[in-house]
Amino acid sequence: MRQCSRWWMSGWVVFVCLCVDNGAASADEAADLAFFEQKVRPVLIEHCHACHAQDANKVRGGLLLDSRAGWQRGGDSGEPAIVLGKPDESPLILAVRHADGLAMPPDKKLPASVIADLEEWVRRGAFDPRKEGAVEPKRADKSWWSLQPLRDVAPPAVTLSPAEQSATKVGEADLSAIDRFLLAELALKGLTFNFPADARTLIRRMSYDVTGLPPTLEEVTEFEQAFAAQPDAAVETLVDRLLASPGYGEQWGRHWLDVVRFGESNGFERNFLIPDLWPFRDYVIRSLNEDKPFNQFVVEQLAGDVIAPNDPAVEVATAFLVAGPYDDVGNQDVVAQANIRAATLDDIITATGSAFLGLTVNCARCHHHKFDPIPTEDYYRLRAAFEGITHGRRVVASPAEREAHAAALAPLDARRVELAAKRDALNAKITTEATAQLSATVWKQGKVDPTWTEERFEPVEAKFLRFVMQAHTGNPNAAGGARLTEFEVWTAGDGTRNVALALNGTIAEGERALRAADFPEAYGPQLVIDGTYAEQWFIGGPAELKLTFKEPVQIDRVALANSRGPGTDRSGVTGEFPCEYEVLVSNDGETWTRVASSIGREPWSDAHGVARVRRDAVRPLEPSEVDQPWRASLRADLDAVGQLERELAEVQGAINRVPPLRQVWIGQRAQPATGTWVHKGGDPAKPAEQVTASSLSVLDQTTTAYSLPADAAEGERRLALARWIAADNNPLTPRVLANRVWHTHFGTGLVDTPGDFGFLGGVPSHPDLLDWLAKRLLSHGWRLKPLHREILLSRAYRQSSAVRVEAQRQDKDARLLWRFPPRRLSAEELRDTLLDVAGKLDRTPGGPGFRLFRHDENNVSTYTPLDAYGPETYRRAVYHHNVRAGFYDLLSDFDLPDVSFPTPRRARTTTPLQALTLLNHRFTLDMATALAQRAESAAGSKEPRAVVGAIYRFVLQREPSALELERSERFVHEHGVVAFCRAVLNLNEVLYVD
Amino acid sequence: MSTDLVALRESTRRRLLGQMTTGFAGLALGQMLSLERMPIALGDASTERPPAKAKRVLQIFCPGAASHIDLWDYKPALEKHHGEPLPGAEGEVSFQGKNGNLMKSPWAFVPAGESGKPISSLLPNMARHVDGMAFIHSMTSKSNTHGPGCIFMNSCFTREGFPTAGAWVSYALGTLNDNLPTYVAIQDVRGEPPNGKANWGNGFLPARHQGVALSAQQPLRNLSRPDGVTPATDEATQAFLAASNGEHAAARNGDDPLKARIAAYELAARMQLAAPEVSDLARESAEVHAAYGTSDLNPLKAAYARNCLLARRLLERGVRYVSLYCASRASAVDGLLNWDAHKTLQADYERHAPIFDGPTAALLDDLKRTGLLDDTLVVWCTEFGRMPTHQQGTAGRDHNPDAFTTWMLGAGIKGGISYGATDEFGRRAVDKVSSAYDFYATVLHLLGLNHESLTYYHNGANRRLTDVHGHVLSDILA
Repeated sequence: MRQCSRWWMSGWVVFVCLCVDNGAASADEAADLAFFEQKVRPVLIEHCHACHAQDANKVRGGLLLDSRAGWQRGGDSGEPAIVLGKPDESPLILAVRHADGLAMPPDKKLPASVIADLEEWVRRGAFDPRKEGAVEPKRADKSWWSLQPLRDVAPPAVTLSPAEQSATKVGEADLSAIDRFLLAELALKGLTFNFPADARTLIRRMSYDVTGLPPTLEEVTEFEQAFAAQPDAAVETLVDRLLASPGYGEQWGRHWLDVVRFGESNGFERNFLIPDLWPFRDYVIRSLNEDKPFNQFVVEQLAGDVIAPNDPAVEVATAFLVAGPYDDVGNQDVVAQANIRAATLDDIITATGSAFLGLTVNCARCHHHKFDPIPTEDYYRLRAAFEGITHGRRVVASPAEREAHAAALAPLDARRVELAAKRDALNAKITTEATAQLSATVWKQGKVDPTWTEERFEPVEAKFLRFVMQAHTGNPNAAGGARLTEFEVWTAGDGTRNVALALNGTIAEGERALRAADFPEAYGPQLVIDGTYAEQWFIGGPAELKLTFKEPVQIDRVALANSRGPGTDRSGVTGEFPCEYEVLVSNDGETWTRVASSIGREPWSDAHGVARVRRDAVRPLEPSEVDQPWRASLRADLDAVGQLERELAEVQGAINRVPPLRQVWIGQRAQPATGTWVHKGGDPAKPAEQVTASSLSVLDQTTTAYSLPADAAEGERRLALARWIAADNNPLTPRVLANRVWHTHFGTGLVDTPGDFGFLGGVPSHPDLLDWLAKRLLSHGWRLKPLHREILLSRAYRQSSAVRVEAQRQDKDARLLWRFPPRRLSAEELRDTLLDVAGKLDRTPGGPGFRLFRHDENNVSTYTPLDAYGPETYRRAVYHHNVRAGFYDLLSDFDLPDVSFPTPRRARTTTPLQALTLLNHRFTLDMATALAQRAESAAGSKEPRAVVGAIYRFVLQREPSALELERSERFVHEHGVVAFCRAVLNLNEVLYVD
Repeated sequence: MSTDLVALRESTRRRLLGQMTTGFAGLALGQMLSLERMPIALGDASTERPPAKAKRVLQIFCPGAASHIDLWDYKPALEKHHGEPLPGAEGEVSFQGKNGNLMKSPWAFVPAGESGKPISSLLPNMARHVDGMAFIHSMTSKSNTHGPGCIFMNSCFTREGFPTAGAWVSYALGTLNDNLPTYVAIQDVRGEPPNGKANWGNGFLPARHQGVALSAQQPLRNLSRPDGVTPATDEATQAFLAASNGEHAAARNGDDPLKARIAAYELAARMQLAAPEVSDLARESAEVHAAYGTSDLNPLKAAYARNCLLARRLLERGVRYVSLYCASRASAVDGLLNWDAHKTLQADYERHAPIFDGPTAALLDDLKRTGLLDDTLVVWCTEFGRMPTHQQGTAGRDHNPDAFTTWMLGAGIKGGISYGATDEFGRRAVDKVSSAYDFYATVLHLLGLNHESLTYYHNGANRRLTDVHGHVLSDILA
């Protein structure tokens, strides 16, 4: 639990426990006893036991005060409630004083005399005769099963009675070690395996399990024949083929991506898309297909950049560290910043503990773990290992790639520098000339004022008005990107009024720099004529506002502002303001007359002045000035600059075409500037003792401990941790891994909480088998495929999923495996199946993911599910770009996890919304259409009987029964083949694997 | 075995499973899908469940941190000391940076109802409901950032991935109407709230407990038949599936998950009839439409009014938990799309408040008129409050996680009272300091649930909606 019960803990102070043995009777014992019985026990009973006794309705803060051992042990903070002889250091006394945050009893302070008695009791050594009461709440200590070394266990001897051999069609010689472990447990209940599954069932089960895809009809047929001839050999061939297929890495890689909370957006408020995290997915899939030893896989994910700094294929593995959600909203509040940093590292700590060790180390963030022997220091030891990691991307490239890239850029860069120097020299010359011209000018008006700028002109009739902008206060050369709050146009003569108001029928048009897909009105030009000084038009390009009045009006001035109101000053101005502009009017919308411009105003800055002169040299706003000689010289220079700019653009284009070095979201590393401290109560503002990157004490009985100095190099910290986790003597890593493998093959792990091997997790249904498997894994050199192979070849795996009522009565969930547990397809398997049987599945591996959503970025990201998908989405679902808090219809409805947390076990729910989606989303209809075409083409006719047969063979890899054929033919006849395919794709037989 | 069942067994409801070995005989359709939704003892025998006062919840959420001191929490001292520094906190740095001096609310507060509670003149219509409201003025948040703040107010955790309150209620109590979703989130026409869909997520609870997005502008996804499929075809499809799946299940001795999926298709068919009916606002009278303002000239107000009307229809038909959003997310301009008035408080709230005020008040009137309020709990939330000072260089207010106001109204609530208080300027909650933990402890209590007993095992902990905190705010109970 990351959050702790602060109301009880916050007052605990750090102290050294003075452990004195009070067991011996002292001379004053009689007096102490009397004092306790008269002054202390009644107070504790009356004021404390309601919340702090074994028989309390609910024990608060884990603290018991009904026995001596209770206060010695203390509450959830794990520290004694009383420091013998030291009332001022005893949390209990501080609490009853209501002195230090924590106030007990919470509702009413005890009378001063009572508090004094308690203080006296503590001062005298807190004599406490009470021995009654069990004080240790149920929890695990270091003797907990999962923390013990792996045991060498021999598979039990198993005998099968002739009846059993006949029922299961298995002889004793056929039994593998796995089978013997399972049968021994079954025998205790008088149970045994089912008969073997038939060939079609077996190949469907194995294909889905190993590759996530159904077998083809041809594969089924071929296997059926081989199985009929030599079942064992056929199964071995099949298992080897499946494990060697690329689909294995895609299927089992997806399982690992769940475990490491892989999501391709950052979550939280902004939830921006991360487009360069996908190399990690490819790495995982590649590693599994290569059957990379898992200990190496662990080290690479935690410290791949340390062990192979020049090998991108390994370095990308460290994206594991930053594949989780984190908050990136800029927060100026320093307390909040520290909390956010702590939460960001907590994600990495949580994922590391859960994925590799099956330990909920994260529960020790605020206090010692409540149920497992994990002290809070262990949490911060892990934090020390990750202290130097921040989220982000960096270049991941081999030395050869870096060299090639530099070599390609060097000549282009040189050329660019040369051209830019020439251009800059010319520009400097132009600036000198323009500055001379500007200094000779007397301005008719001052600079524009963002709180109110007015342009007056001779009264003129206008039906249309254009406000054409050339520059804004932040950029002398462009007006796009400025903002405008209000634009007013005033009528001439008496009773002057602003006619630029939407309310009066005026229409405003103009491009905007920003759009919000889910809110079309935002940032639009209509906001400058809404009559309020609030929302702003975000001016786009071309930077031009066009107003159409309801009817022609006599006008004589315009005004613009982006902040206005009583007492307004520059501080209220948001955004840049247009400062170079012209105002044109028209009555027919075709002939335009310039009535005002910024030409006579003092420029906003020197740079704005120079830019104005340059513009004016080419296109003078005052035609009479065209022929001045300096203009001709300036124009020549400007032409030369223009030529250089074109050449520069070409060079830049060439530079841009040089493929950049690949950046990958693997995080940034920096040597931590400070040490790591335990945070009292999980609060970064309350640092306690310092810790360094070290092994976790929870495993110090079995593993080889290490402790790095406080200034250990950043990478060294992660590498040491990785090697410790992946060491052969770490009992958790292989146990947890073997259990994950079992969990996936059989639907439930031997420990049914694959991410938690602690006290609150499940206990193993077959502890011996679990250790045997873990040892086996080590003997296979941490490779998974040999372990898969042993499991897949076992009789346990090959048995039927048929229900036996008498067995079900004893073991409903088949944890003992008296049958193979059937399962529903996962979200990905279902989508891949629809594509596959329709003949549309695109098996292109790797690369950036496809998207079943529209992505809108407007300060924050919004992800909208698509109503129809194109063929570019027809790849395997493992390649979908899963964002956090996204929604993708079929995938989400069928329990694709949000992966905000490690997801060691998927939910498998059944809901009406699933039925609606599978029936009605366009995707099903598209697949039904493709399947119909495929079936008609395979059948070579449109004759319903033939087409139905083809559909059954494609989708279910079997022939329809006579009853099914009759029902289907009738359906096709009445509703057509496509509608029939849509129905078939909804069959339970599609969704469930026996 | 489905992982639903694994989770179920590991939850505190261990005893239930023992009663279910007989299979599905006798269970209603909906129950076949969701063993968990059965009204069962939550927690151990030593914890008593309170009597249920409310059957359903309407949550109205104004995202963006709607300012307590400009809407509900009257602070005369702010007027008096306008322009002076906040004592002891000059130039304090909060979320966006430095703060200026104290800034009074641009709006007068007007005593309302028999209780005479002063309410901002921005909310003239909501003011008529103050006698039914129990204000909680002493709310605090654990985050000063909108996204984490919103999900904290919805799930009691600042990190996404935890179930929201509606999901917990769905998990604990299940549905009142199998033909409609149990938990509906009505998002604003302006977009999703900060942190988006996580605000109605099921977290680690099974997917069926997620809030289903539905609004007057956005029908339930995948509800209608695809183009080209006729009702007759759909009927034949259902018949085909029933027959084929029936044979498939029979050949497997009627495995429970298979039967549950058959039931799901029947429920889906019923939902296809029920959901369009509930969304069909044309069935309401012209008077009702006029009262809500569904044809208001302001399109944003009209859109929200339609969502208010939809909320009433959903509640009426037995949707257990309705979350109704008024405003949306952060945009490139603070305060444009939601209540996040950093720079131009007056203009922002004069835009947002009228959208919220009339339609919400009409919805409350309507709940009263129809008698729904007798067993419906209405709660109003936002993610945190705003500073009593103005943000330096602006006429707006920065984030303030140390004080904000929420209120409850309806079933089981003592109306016309104010619980807890902020300091004289509204900077910090000082009396009976409360939080989302207490807020939801109270909501669950009114639904007949003990917040300490409603748990679900996840990654090493028996998780609760209220984490390890929370006290029922008994002072506001009727």
